[in-house]
Amino acid sequence: MAFENETQKLHDALVSCKVPEISKAVDEAHAAGMPATEIINTLGGSMSEVGVLFERGKLFLPHVLSAAAGMKKAMEALNDELSAGNSGGDVKASAVMGTVEGDVHDIGKSICSTMLQCAGFDVHDLGRDVPLGKFVDECKAGCTFCGMSALMTTTMVQMKTVIDNLKEEGIRDKVTVMVGGAPITQGFCDKIGADIYGESASETTRKAQDVLGA
Amino acid sequence: MTEYYTRMGDGRRVTMTKEQVMTDIQAGTADAADMAGIPALDANDIEHMCEIVIDQSRVVGVEPGHEVVMTYDIGQLDFTGDNGNSGNGVDMGRLEAALLHERALGADTFELSHSDYSIKPVKPVISMEMQAMEEIQSEIIAPYFYGAMPNMGLYYAPDGPYGNPADLMREFKIDESMASSEAAADHLARDIEFVTTRLQAAGSDGFNFDTTGSAGDADFVGTLNGVRILREQCPEAYINVGAAGESVMGIHGMMEFDGEIAAGLYPHQQCKLIAKAGANVFGAVCNTNTSRSLAWNLGRAVTFIKKAVEDSPIPVHVDMGMGVGGIPMFETPPLDAVARCNKAMVEIAKVDGV
Amino acid sequence: MDIPHLVASGMGGIRTAGDMVARMMYAKNMKLDVAKEYVAKKLGVTTMDLGDECVMRDLREELKIGSVTGIPGAPRGILAKMNIEDILDIKINSCEKFREKLRR
Repeated sequence: MAFENETQKLHDALVSCKVPEISKAVDEAHAAGMPATEIINTLGGSMSEVGVLFERGKLFLPHVLSAAAGMKKAMEALNDELSAGNSGGDVKASAVMGTVEGDVHDIGKSICSTMLQCAGFDVHDLGRDVPLGKFVDECKAGCTFCGMSALMTTTMVQMKTVIDNLKEEGIRDKVTVMVGGAPITQGFCDKIGADIYGESASETTRKAQDVLGA
Repeated sequence: MTEYYTRMGDGRRVTMTKEQVMTDIQAGTADAADMAGIPALDANDIEHMCEIVIDQSRVVGVEPGHEVVMTYDIGQLDFTGDNGNSGNGVDMGRLEAALLHERALGADTFELSHSDYSIKPVKPVISMEMQAMEEIQSEIIAPYFYGAMPNMGLYYAPDGPYGNPADLMREFKIDESMASSEAAADHLARDIEFVTTRLQAAGSDGFNFDTTGSAGDADFVGTLNGVRILREQCPEAYINVGAAGESVMGIHGMMEFDGEIAAGLYPHQQCKLIAKAGANVFGAVCNTNTSRSLAWNLGRAVTFIKKAVEDSPIPVHVDMGMGVGGIPMFETPPLDAVARCNKAMVEIAKVDGV
Repeated sequence: MDIPHLVASGMGGIRTAGDMVARMMYAKNMKLDVAKEYVAKKLGVTTMDLGDECVMRDLREELKIGSVTGIPGAPRGILAKMNIEDILDIKINSCEKFREKLRR
């Protein structure tokens, strides 16, 4: 395997979640002739591992953010080469995220937004207690992923209203609807006709990436 | 091959063979052991749990003489609340709810609570809560707490004065995010002191801190700082600290209590810090995965809780509500599943209470 | 949720001696077996009896520490808790606050 040593160093640096080490590994890999797209793909794969380690309590949110900051810095450093090849660093898709109206719990949703952002999505996080029409507005404006969260059984039913509204607007087929939160199950996801149920932030992110074939 | 009725983590009834149940228990216990770095259940425990899961009686239970203490959270809201907090929607006074739990439902302890069930909103109505506590204490016999969630999310924008750490982090403002968490934790500790010491003055037996750490490690540390103050000021208080999950979520990542980083602590580690803060009882939690079977969830949950019971310097009451302790995440948890999880927690994890 | 838990493993509160075992857990950090032994010794019964309605119903009435049915004239609330204080050799906060308010 070409650049085996560099690949390992990039992986180790990203999982260490230390920005200077990530930058150093990127510089060394680039100096050794590793293509920019390969560097970014290696870091992206390692980022998924960081997400799993966060989920299992081995890493914490600041670690995830440091790793993401390191990756962002790498993309800036390699920008010229990536732009020339037009094969990396692009936004994968736009996603609107929010906790549905009447529900003020947003920690899980915020972590999911962060994970999606780290995975290259352009995230429009509307926060919590989000009026249902705003989800639809964002989708009409171009978001192709719509992530809704609820922590309460009283509020989770609103997710179906958003799906119905997307249908009324004629854009349901253009949007991947993601649902999550403590009372949400795969059965509920199926029942209301959503596309993705995420048991965790990293599972949601992985499933969203799968939709794009990333 | 014989198939047995059992459940999924979302409550659906499924059939599984004994071999499938054993395989799922083994996978569940292995997952917990790997996550927390603790021993998996041994062969005897796994066999015992399997027998409990595949028992075809509708209800199972422990042998007479092996009963444990039942501590109830959420106060009267299990009657009066709507389905947002799994209540029955039956409006009644808080005295009536307390006496019903004591005299009709066999509660060993019960609690008074505010309809929001969070500490912060109690401050403006503290006199009303003190009066209710005094009145109910004159009628009730069982230990009667005040209960609320620390719910540190209420201290972040837009509900509170501090920036939302998750929002700040998405802008890569990590230092600001951490500072916001620290300020909110200090504020929470002050509010805990304000609320709890007044309720003790009104005759409360103590305080139940429910879902501690729901907003992450800063919530956990802020609560323990508040618990320490309560213990110093009210040595007589009965203090129950219940966790929010099997692991303390690292939103800040570096916050410490008594020199130990809180993020990433599992129940067998949480119990030691909670005891150091001055709590009398630790409410251990393990969340249910709705996509896995009851056997997998129970194997996993009992593994975490058993180790916590072994290592805890104080009694451990396992949280066994909807979606925790192996119980399916379904608003009307099936009776058969609840009874099985209860029996396994008592007989295998050897909890002091539920 | 209360009923299945009570049926599966609950001590039973004031139906039996669950309230007193709970008090010892919280007042003295006693683990389950220690708390049961302490209460059983103070009541003069076995630990098995602590969860037996037949034993505890009569005993609670005799000791004037309250029961689940309305017995006219029998102590309940603060009065019953004061008797529990004596039996278990502990102080209960609501009783302490009650005493502080008495004029004598």
